[in-house]
Amino acid sequence: MTHRILVVDDEDIILEMVAIALTDRGYAPVVCNSGTDALSMFRDTKPDLVLLDIQLPGRDGIEICRDIRAESGTPIIMLTANGETESLVLALEAGADDYIVKPYKAEELTARIRARLRPAVDSSSKILGIGDLTIDVTGHEVRRNGELLSLTPLEFDLLVALASQPAVVFTREMLLEQVWGYQYKADTRLVNVHVQRLRGKIEEDPDNPSVVMTVRGVGYRAGSVV
Amino acid sequence: MNQLWQRLLATTPAQAWAGLVRFWRRSLQFRTVLISLGLTTLAIISVGIYMSVSISNDLFSSRLTQVLNESQRAQAAAQRVLDTSEATDRIGAQSVMNAARIAIRDATSSPYIAVFRVPGQDSSVLAPQDFSSPELTGDVITTTLRSDVQTDSSAQFWQSVALNASANRVPGVVVGSQLSLPGGGNYELYIGYDFSQAESTLAFVQSVLWFAGVVLLVLSGMVAFFVARLLVRPIQVAAETSERLSQGDLDVRIPETGEDVMSTLSRSFNSMANSMQRQLTELADLSSIQQRFVADVSHELRTPLTTIRLASDHLYRHREELTRDNRRSAELLQAQLDRFESLLSDLLEISRYDARTIELETEPTNVAVLASDVVGLMMSLAVENKCEITVASPGGHFDIEVDPRRIRRVLINLIGNAIEHGAGSAIDVRIDSSPTAVAVSVRDYGHGMTPEQVTQVFGRFWRADSARKRTIGGTGLGLAISLEDARVHGGRIDVWAQENAGANFVLTLPRKSDVEIGELPIDPREGFDS
Repeated sequence: MTHRILVVDDEDIILEMVAIALTDRGYAPVVCNSGTDALSMFRDTKPDLVLLDIQLPGRDGIEICRDIRAESGTPIIMLTANGETESLVLALEAGADDYIVKPYKAEELTARIRARLRPAVDSSSKILGIGDLTIDVTGHEVRRNGELLSLTPLEFDLLVALASQPAVVFTREMLLEQVWGYQYKADTRLVNVHVQRLRGKIEEDPDNPSVVMTVRGVGYRAGSVV
Repeated sequence: MNQLWQRLLATTPAQAWAGLVRFWRRSLQFRTVLISLGLTTLAIISVGIYMSVSISNDLFSSRLTQVLNESQRAQAAAQRVLDTSEATDRIGAQSVMNAARIAIRDATSSPYIAVFRVPGQDSSVLAPQDFSSPELTGDVITTTLRSDVQTDSSAQFWQSVALNASANRVPGVVVGSQLSLPGGGNYELYIGYDFSQAESTLAFVQSVLWFAGVVLLVLSGMVAFFVARLLVRPIQVAAETSERLSQGDLDVRIPETGEDVMSTLSRSFNSMANSMQRQLTELADLSSIQQRFVADVSHELRTPLTTIRLASDHLYRHREELTRDNRRSAELLQAQLDRFESLLSDLLEISRYDARTIELETEPTNVAVLASDVVGLMMSLAVENKCEITVASPGGHFDIEVDPRRIRRVLINLIGNAIEHGAGSAIDVRIDSSPTAVAVSVRDYGHGMTPEQVTQVFGRFWRADSARKRTIGGTGLGLAISLEDARVHGGRIDVWAQENAGANFVLTLPRKSDVEIGELPIDPREGFDS
C-alpha cells in the first residue's frame, strides 16, 4: 500500500524537491503551497500523514495543525527553521506529533515519516490495563469504565509503550526512541508536551496524574492498575 | 532620636567610641560640624584669653594710677598738716599727727592707713606713736617695701598685697611714702587700697566672656550644621542617584535648581546619565537588530539550503547511475554540504550567544551518566582513529540542574578534539566533584600545545596547526561555543597542555547555578611535569 503524504509549504521549489524525494522512496506526495487551501486539501485527499511548514502565508502551520487535530488523528510532522522555539512549542501543543528542522536530509525526513506510519506497537497481550483505563491494542481503543476516549495514534502509542512495561521507568530518551523512533539528538520537549496533552485527555485530574506518573529527574512510568 | 539615645545608653564606652569613629568616617556632615566646632573653640578661647588678659591689665593699671595719685595727694596733705606743727610736747605732736590722719582720710578714699616711725632715728620725746589699721597688720606690709620706703624719703613705692579686710583676705595694693614731723623725725606712711572692686569687675567681664564664648560656640555649631547640611544634602542626593543608576535604574536624575556649582554638577551628571542611557538603548537596539538579522539569515538561508540538501541527497542516492566524474561530484557535494551545514549552525549559535538570546532548558542531569553516554556515542569514531577511551568517575554521581543538550555538546566537542589531536593516544575521561562543583576532564597524550597556543585555543576559527590535515573537520567554532555553553551555566573550561605531552581540558560546572565554583574538583595541571 502506498502512503499518501500531504506536504504543505509556501516554497514551490521545496515542494517539488520534497515530492521528488518522497516519490523516490515509494510514497505518494500531494503538495499544497497555501495555508488557506491546506485544510480543504486535507479533507479531499485524506492523506496518511501531513508534513506542515510552520511559517505559511494566510493560515499558519499552527492553526492548520489545530484544524486537522479537531477532526482527525492523522500524524502531523512540522517542518521548521531553527530558532522558532516558541512557535514550535505552540505547534506541538496544537497536536503536532513530531518536527524536523530545516535544512533536513532526505534520510532524516523519511525516518521520521516511517516512524509515524509504522504499525502500532506489537504486543503479546491484546488487552492492557493502565491506571483505571483499559487499552484494546488490536482495536486501537482506550476506555474508562466502558467509555471510549479519543486519542491520536501517537498518544495511543505513548500510552501503550508505558502500559506494556508497567515495571519500567521510561526516560524521555527511551520514549523518544520507542515512540518517535529517534536514535540520538533527542528533543525531550516532544515528550513533555505530548505527555501533557495525553494527560489532558485521560487523567481525571491532570495536575495529580494517576495514569501517567512522573518520576522526578528520570521520566515517566505507568500508574498501577486499579 | 529616642532610639538613638537608648542605643547610646546601652553601649559600652568602647562600643560607643567605635560607633563614633564609624559615624565620623561615614558622615560628611558630622565631620564638617565637628571640625568647624573644634576650630571655633580654638578661636574663641584664644580671643577670650587675649581679651581677659588685656582687660585685667587695663583695669589694674588704671586703678593703680588712681591710687598712686590719691596716695600722693594724701601724703602731701598730711605733710602740709605736719609742717604747720608747733607742738612742743608729746600730746601736741600726737594731735598734729591725728590731724594729719584726718587730712589723709579726707584726701583718700581708703580707710586703711598705717604710720610707722622710721627706725634708727634719735628718740624724741615729741614722737607720736605708730599706728596701723587692722587691715594692714601682720605681714601685709613686707619688709622689702618698708626698707624701700625707709631708704628713699621722697619717692612712692607700691606693692600688690592681700589685705586683712573682713574674714577673707582681699586683693589690694599698699602704697608707701615718707612723712616728716618737724621735731618728731621721719614717719613711714602706708595706705592700703582695696582692689576687690577691680577684681570683681574682671570676674564679671570674664564670666560675660565665657558666656559669650559658649553662645558663640553653640551658634557656630548650628551654623556649621546648617551650612554642612546645605552643602552635603545635594552631594547625598548625587551619591544616592549615582548608586541607583549603577544598579541599572537608568531613569533617575538629580533635580537641577539654581545656577551654583551644585546645579552645574547636577546638570553634568544628568547629561552623563542621558548619554549613558542613550548608548545603552542603542546597544540594546543593536542587539535586537542583530538578533533579528540572525533569525532572518537563518530563515533565508535554510530555504534554499533545504532544496540543495534534498537535491544532493537525491543525486547521492542515485550516484551509481552516474558517470564516474558525475558520481565523484555528487559525493563531494554531499560531503561539503555536511560541513557547510554544521558551519552555518555553529555560526548561528555563536551569534545567538553574542546577541545574548540563549535560553537554557535545564533539567536534573547526572553528569557522570551523561559523560559515559557521550563516550559511548564517540566510541565508533575513537575506534576509527585507533584511540582507546577510558572512563573513571570517582565523583559526580548526582543530579545538577543543567541544559543536558548543551553539556552533551561540550563533551562531544572535547572528546572529539581529543580524538582528533590525540594522534591515536589513549584518552582518559574523568568525572569528579567537590562540595560546590562537578568536573569532567578529557585528557589526551597526543601532540599537545605550546603555551601560546593554549591562550588562543578558545578563539574563533583558530586551529592548532593549520598545516596539519584535518581528519574529523570541525568548524573551528567548537571550543568557542563550548566555552559559552559552560559559562552560561556559571561554569568554566580550563585547559593545560604541553607540546608532545598532550592536553587536558576540564569542564567545571557549579552544583547550583548561583553558587561559586570554589576550588576546582579536577586540577587541569594534574599529570603534567610542573
